Amino acid sequence: MDRGGRTTVILQDRRSGRVLPLRQLRNRQPHSSPSLSWNGRYLALLVLQGGRRQAVIEDRATGQQLPLFLPAAQEPQQLSLAPDGQSIALELINGGSRRLQVFSLAGMLEPDRAPGLRESGGGSPLQP
Amino acid sequence: MSKRATIGVGLSTAALTLLLAGCQSGLRPIQQLNQPLSGLGNSQSPSLNSEWLALISSRTGSRAQVQLIDRRRNAPVPLPGLNRPDSLPISVAVDQRGERLALVRQRDDRSELVIHRRSLQASQTVPIEPAGVPQRVSLSADGRVLAVEVSRAGLWQVDLLELP
Repeated sequence: MDRGGRTTVILQDRRSGRVLPLRQLRNRQPHSSPSLSWNGRYLALLVLQGGRRQAVIEDRATGQQLPLFLPAAQEPQQLSLAPDGQSIALELINGGSRRLQVFSLAGMLEPDRAPGLRESGGGSPLQP
Repeated sequence: MSKRATIGVGLSTAALTLLLAGCQSGLRPIQQLNQPLSGLGNSQSPSLNSEWLALISSRTGSRAQVQLIDRRRNAPVPLPGLNRPDSLPISVAVDQRGERLALVRQRDDRSELVIHRRSLQASQTVPIEPAGVPQRVSLSADGRVLAVEVSRAGLWQVDLLELP
């Protein structure tokens, strides 16, 4: 959404229509390429940092923001966060060519699993 | 320098090294997936989930194509009925099951939004109402809701469409 001439990511709850605050992203426009995890815990997007595009992940549960550091020559153009928050695909521009790289986020982010999925364990299924 | 001070400096250096190593190593490339990607030439418009990666790839001298990579095998799967010689893909998205792909493509100088069902090998054009030019598409993981960025009279809007 264009806000005051600056492209800004808006997060809206589809059930209530309420716009949810993203305070840490203020003053880092233009934003682009937003991507949400299953339950909306994580929001990955591109922000402007020091005159360059940077990929960041906002953890809405803790309020923390995780910057994804890339080699200096590579600039992210677009991204896609896997719904479980355990991997991310980045479209990178390097010397005029575009290529995709997929990175693991396991160990960095807690999984944000689909509703109804059992995390682990719990024993054998009940027998009739 | 006393032994205690030396140990202190050593521990601080080790802690700093570990801290830096932690920051650097946080983002780990998934090599078994990146390797086949590097063989596809230029690639863009990623749509990722734990099972699939959809993207648009193009090699010099050939037309851009939608690719769908099975993350269990780290290999592309065939997409009969999706890539057409008379169209140019612009944006693609895939659902968690790899069953539905949403695609914006240019065909006959017009941009169109298409839903492709892999099990049926069939694509269906989704009308944009009110009329507009679709640009980028996103599909919910369950494949039920589609978000499409549409240009209408110079204004960018996002349409949400519920799919049957």
